[in-house]
Amino acid sequence: MSAGMSGPIRRSASRGRLAAIGATLLVLLSPFLWLLQMSFKSNELILQFPPPLLFKPTLENYTSLWQGAFPASFVNSLMSASFSTALALLLGVPAAYALSRWAGRGRHALGFAILVTRMAPPIAFTIPFFLFYRWIGLLDTVTGLVLVYTSFNLPLVIWMMQPFFETVPPSLEEAALVDGAPIRVIFLEIVLPMVAPGIAATAILCFLYAWNDFFFALILTRTNARTAPVAVVNFMNYEGWEWGKIAAGGSLVMAPVLIFSLAVRRYLVSGLTAGAVKG
Amino acid sequence: MKGSGLVDAGRRHFNAIALAPSLVVLFVIAGLPAIYLVVTSLTPFQLVNPGSSTDFSSPLRNYRLLPDDPRFVNSLWVQAKLSFWGVLFQVLLGMLLALLLHTQSRIVEFARTFFLIPMVLPPIVVAIIWKLIYTPDISPLYYAASLLNVTMPSLTSSVDFALTAIIIADSWEWLPFTFLMVLAALQTIPDEFSEAALVDGANRLQIFYYVTLPFITPVLVISGMFRLIDSVKAFPLVFLLTGGGPGSVTEVTNYYAYLLAFDFNEIGYSSSVTVVLLLLVVAVSFGVVWMGRRREAMA
Repeated sequence: MSAGMSGPIRRSASRGRLAAIGATLLVLLSPFLWLLQMSFKSNELILQFPPPLLFKPTLENYTSLWQGAFPASFVNSLMSASFSTALALLLGVPAAYALSRWAGRGRHALGFAILVTRMAPPIAFTIPFFLFYRWIGLLDTVTGLVLVYTSFNLPLVIWMMQPFFETVPPSLEEAALVDGAPIRVIFLEIVLPMVAPGIAATAILCFLYAWNDFFFALILTRTNARTAPVAVVNFMNYEGWEWGKIAAGGSLVMAPVLIFSLAVRRYLVSGLTAGAVKG
Repeated sequence: MKGSGLVDAGRRHFNAIALAPSLVVLFVIAGLPAIYLVVTSLTPFQLVNPGSSTDFSSPLRNYRLLPDDPRFVNSLWVQAKLSFWGVLFQVLLGMLLALLLHTQSRIVEFARTFFLIPMVLPPIVVAIIWKLIYTPDISPLYYAASLLNVTMPSLTSSVDFALTAIIIADSWEWLPFTFLMVLAALQTIPDEFSEAALVDGANRLQIFYYVTLPFITPVLVISGMFRLIDSVKAFPLVFLLTGGGPGSVTEVTNYYAYLLAFDFNEIGYSSSVTVVLLLLVVAVSFGVVWMGRRREAMA
């Protein structure tokens, strides 16, 4: 790489290009920044045009959220996302390891089945889950959400962890095998520590997908297990148009996502091409 | 494999134990629902009429109704328009953005992360963001238009612009995805190719057309197909911005199925709509896998 740095092709950034990149970034992010600044404005300020460039930020939108029912929905989101992530990892990580070491014929078919599960529109699962939960009494429970989220997080874990296991050199495992160690021990004590970064990245992606869900929570919850994304939308329907609160709620819902996704940005593509279950 | 038969048996045993729980759980929470969906699509099941859930007297009734249901046909058409323009914008703009950011610079590498923000935001937050932009009283867009003495129609309630408004928001959300994929592909192009072209006297446009473009075409196609599959899921945007309206101008098939099941309680009919949608998704997924394999074979 270094040899090419001064070459004519190695596109070292010119000033013009940097300016163009900066301008594009500003334009692209302006809708996002608009939401963010709105969350710190009082309702009078929000309606004021031209918008003041400098204003005294207020936390009143956030404090009124904190006093309402919003924290409970935030906790619901947190719990359903965490538990489904844990469950998906517990089941999916050993399965991914087995698949990565399995040269059997069924591997491609299984891979395709997993892909389809990831690609299927949520509505396909919602109708059966809704009817089943109504029957068994799991509607409006965090447990119900955990199960639904696992239906898309488990395939994600199996899909995403395989390449990580493939990077572990087989010679390591063979050496331990020759020493007579059972595969269970090899898996737990040699292989797993080596793929720890992969597990962390996968866990974060699972958490994000569950956290981002709106569709399942909209249909499968009412009040008790309502998640944060649904709660924010309810500000629009039932409490009038409180733009400041809506903006603050939106900012709170996106905060964990922004922090976590920056941590796993390298893996975002492989996670997403496994079929983004957003929506 | 130099392992003895005993070791192989141990491996097989372990594999079975490691795989079985996942397969069982996947079958229960994904396989069974899919089967149940197909079964329900063969009944005239309505929530208000519990007995209808097991009425198989006319199993293909729902599917026969579909072609003559104008709302269903319209929803496919709306979906096609949304997918086509959305995917086109995302691939094209994502490619341009990747070309712009494909450069060696610490600052640019740092900035790349911020370009990903729209994609990682919760979809409902994206919908809220665009709701703010499309609501005249509080929107900087409408204010800017008024400064230019332009009166903008209310985009999301206008027959002519509602779908465009959704396409814009959807493209904004997913542009970073194609950008990321194209950028990754650009970084694998060996420098020698373009250097050789440069020595031969090619200009930048020619280098792009003859060297870069052929190299990234497979990625453009694959990322476009992934976006095509996901465009079927556009729900929060439609839900929050237009509610399928005005009329049914923005009512995509996914949204129509949602309304059927959870507004009109037509569970059976909604299931048949969903099965059709699912088949379309499976067909495109199959295409993606097939193309991916062909690429592997060619490499």
